[in-house]
Amino acid sequence: MRLVFDTIRSRIVAGLMPLLIGLVGTALLGAVTLRQMRQAVAEELAGLRASSDVGSGLVATALAEIRAAEQYLAAPSADARKLFQAASDEASQYEKRLEAFGVTGEDRIAVNRLKQLHAAIQVDYSIAHALKDLGRDHEALAQSAAVRPEAAEVTRLARDLSSRQAAKAAQAADRLTAASKEREKGLWLLLAAIAVIALLLARWALLSIQGPLNRLVTAAERFGGGDLRPVTVGEMPREFRVLAEAMQRMADRLRRIVGEVVGESDLIAGSAGDLSATSQQLAASSSEVSTAMVEISGGADHQRSELGAMGTGLEELRRAAAEMAEAADRTAQLGEEIRTVADRHRGDVAAAGKALLDVREVVQTTSQQVGELAQLSAAIDDFVDLIKRISSQTNLLALNAAIEAARAGEHGRGFAVVAEEVRQLADESARAAEEVTRTTGLIREHMEEVSATMTAGQAKVRGIEAIAEGAARGLAEIVAAIEQVEHAALRVRVAAQANRETTERLTQQVEQVASRATAHATSAEQITAAAQQQGASTQEMAASAAHMLAAAEKLRGLVQGLRV
Amino acid sequence: MLAACTRPSGPVVIGLAGPFSQPRGTSMLRAAQLAVEQVNARGGVRGGRAGGGRPLKLKVADDSGSENVAMRVAEQLYADPAVVAVVGHLSSDPSKAAARVYGGGATPLVMVSPSASNPDLGGINPYFFRICPSDLQHGTELARFAWQTLAARHAGIIYLNNDYGRGVRRTFGAEFTRLGGVVVEADPAVPETRSLEPYLSRMRQGGVDVLVLATERPGAELALREMQALGLRWPVIGGDALTGIEADGALAEGVHVSSAYLSDRRDERNGAFVADYARAYQGQRPDHRGAGAYDAIYLLTRVIAEAGPDRTAIRDDLAQVGRGKPPFEGVTGTVTFDANGDVPGKQVVIGVIRDGRLVTESER
Repeated sequence: MRLVFDTIRSRIVAGLMPLLIGLVGTALLGAVTLRQMRQAVAEELAGLRASSDVGSGLVATALAEIRAAEQYLAAPSADARKLFQAASDEASQYEKRLEAFGVTGEDRIAVNRLKQLHAAIQVDYSIAHALKDLGRDHEALAQSAAVRPEAAEVTRLARDLSSRQAAKAAQAADRLTAASKEREKGLWLLLAAIAVIALLLARWALLSIQGPLNRLVTAAERFGGGDLRPVTVGEMPREFRVLAEAMQRMADRLRRIVGEVVGESDLIAGSAGDLSATSQQLAASSSEVSTAMVEISGGADHQRSELGAMGTGLEELRRAAAEMAEAADRTAQLGEEIRTVADRHRGDVAAAGKALLDVREVVQTTSQQVGELAQLSAAIDDFVDLIKRISSQTNLLALNAAIEAARAGEHGRGFAVVAEEVRQLADESARAAEEVTRTTGLIREHMEEVSATMTAGQAKVRGIEAIAEGAARGLAEIVAAIEQVEHAALRVRVAAQANRETTERLTQQVEQVASRATAHATSAEQITAAAQQQGASTQEMAASAAHMLAAAEKLRGLVQGLRV
Repeated sequence: MLAACTRPSGPVVIGLAGPFSQPRGTSMLRAAQLAVEQVNARGGVRGGRAGGGRPLKLKVADDSGSENVAMRVAEQLYADPAVVAVVGHLSSDPSKAAARVYGGGATPLVMVSPSASNPDLGGINPYFFRICPSDLQHGTELARFAWQTLAARHAGIIYLNNDYGRGVRRTFGAEFTRLGGVVVEADPAVPETRSLEPYLSRMRQGGVDVLVLATERPGAELALREMQALGLRWPVIGGDALTGIEADGALAEGVHVSSAYLSDRRDERNGAFVADYARAYQGQRPDHRGAGAYDAIYLLTRVIAEAGPDRTAIRDDLAQVGRGKPPFEGVTGTVTFDANGDVPGKQVVIGVIRDGRLVTESER
């Protein structure tokens, strides 16, 4: 409920809507009721009209029938007969219509009786007419006389019927009146209920708006009276709540501002006092300043001339530094060349070392092979010995063969020749062997010489290697030394460069200082003038400080009226 | 339907309303009872939605032929929820009064009249059916018979001064005039009328060659007696309201009567019915009311078997007989309903009283 009717709008709507709905509903109900009543009345009236039409029509046709019948009896004619027949048929139609109304109970009996009587009347008159036609007038008269009580009863029944219809109509009217009264009462009750509900709801809506509004007004009045202390406004519609919160925020902010104003005005008052004291001192010191400034401007001129001299010295210094840098550059260049040469030689030495290593290897291999050759020559000696032994044996054999051949005489002659030949061969073999032995001896001698030469070569090669290594080491050391020189030269050059820059900067600074010094002199003069002006301004400031003090006092007085 | 559910094995009740205290109601009551006995002997109402073999039961109500009593009786039958249909009433005026009761309210009840022939009844409400032709057919058929068979040209009419009599008078007059004849005079009568002699005497003067008696049996008897007294020998014809007059012997000999049904109707079904009726009731013969009631019972039995013992369902099924559902073949002929609950296809036959019996008039 609280959520739904949280706003003034919804409360007003909640207050008004039921009223509106109730009124519309009542109007609709009233309209429907009226319509129903109208319909009911129309139906009743239509029924009544129809039945009264039928009733009166029946009576009228019955009378017309009787009139026509009597007329015929008085003076028979085709017209009168036709009239009678037509009236009879019409009366039958009315009877049928009367039945169609669905009459019940007493009316039903009455209608049936009516029909019977009517039929009888018709029959009586028909017979009377027949008698009349036959010329039996007396009988006809008697027959027609019998109709009279029947006719009287028909009239009475018809009258009764219509009076009952009238009674029915009255009943219906009463019923309708009662129904309409009932409806009317219902509508009044409904309206009253709606009015009560509407009043209650309107009261609730008003109260739920008025109460919070009053509280808000009270709070606003308090704020207006300068009481900025927080207030509690209680529960209220959303719009009011927003307003109340806004007021609270405003009060908070005002409270804070007032607090700050009080603090600030105190500070200002303090500052103003201080200011005025300071301005007195300032006035005094500004005259001192102007005096000092005169001295300063004199000093500045002196400074300027001294600085000029310093600039010349610095220029010389810069030149010397440049020369030193050049020398360093040259040194570095020389070092570079030396290193190039050393590098080249170091490569040569390395190549030589490598060649020596090859030589040593060749020598070693050769001496090895010579050793092997010596061993081979020993094998040759063994072989030669074998050949020598074989040739001596062969020689011996050939000698024996020659002896044997001689013994054999003639037969052995041929054989003696062969043996001689074999002996000579053996001798030659022995000689060849001798030759080989001798040659081998010569070869061995040469080989030993070669071997000795090799060993000597190896030693020499080793010596050369040692020298080459030493040379390489020396070159490396040279290179290292050169690098150190280069480093040193570089450092010298850098230092010289730095020196030169420093000198230049120094020169510039000196120039700036000189120009500043000139400016100082000018400024000092201006300051002097300013100090004199300041003195005047200080006087004015002192006056302003006095004003400010007065204003701060006034502000504090104002704020003291607010309760925070 | 609810009644059927709560008492599935109980009897199916049909109301039977007519003037059973009077001679004209006898045949109707007997034939209806005969039909119910036959149906129950064959196992009751079976098949369709009626369940297996529920017996038929009649609730007989005497309306004395009076409209007021007929209405009271109708209200009683209507109020009994067990009653699912009514066979009745016999004549037109009580039927008209009762039809207003049966056709109204929340649970309308079907009525099947065996012999209420007034034209106004057709279509009086959707719950009215009859298996007899209307008076329009009687009057018309009588006029044709008088013109063609009797070669009559001047007709005199004595009519009962009610709906029935006026209806026959109107339809006869219209057809007879159309054929070229003249209605010399048409005179009303009521049951209380003591003498018709003035009419008859005037008719003799007028030169009548056929007398139409559109009355009920007492009126016709009076007319015939007075004709005898006057020495008149006109051919006499009348509507089916005269039925029963054959019992009057010589008085009624030769009278022609139009009827929806004659008991000598050549039909196998009818032969069996007449024989059964004679066996059951000491050699009596059924009249058109009895035959109509007999057919009405069998017709309702068929319909209840198809639609179930529910008033509305019976009505809906009955209305379709001959229109969507097969026609009903009964002892009175073929029953085919039109939208008014009438049987326009049924023929009216002219019978003649010979030797105290109403028989079919043989063609000349």
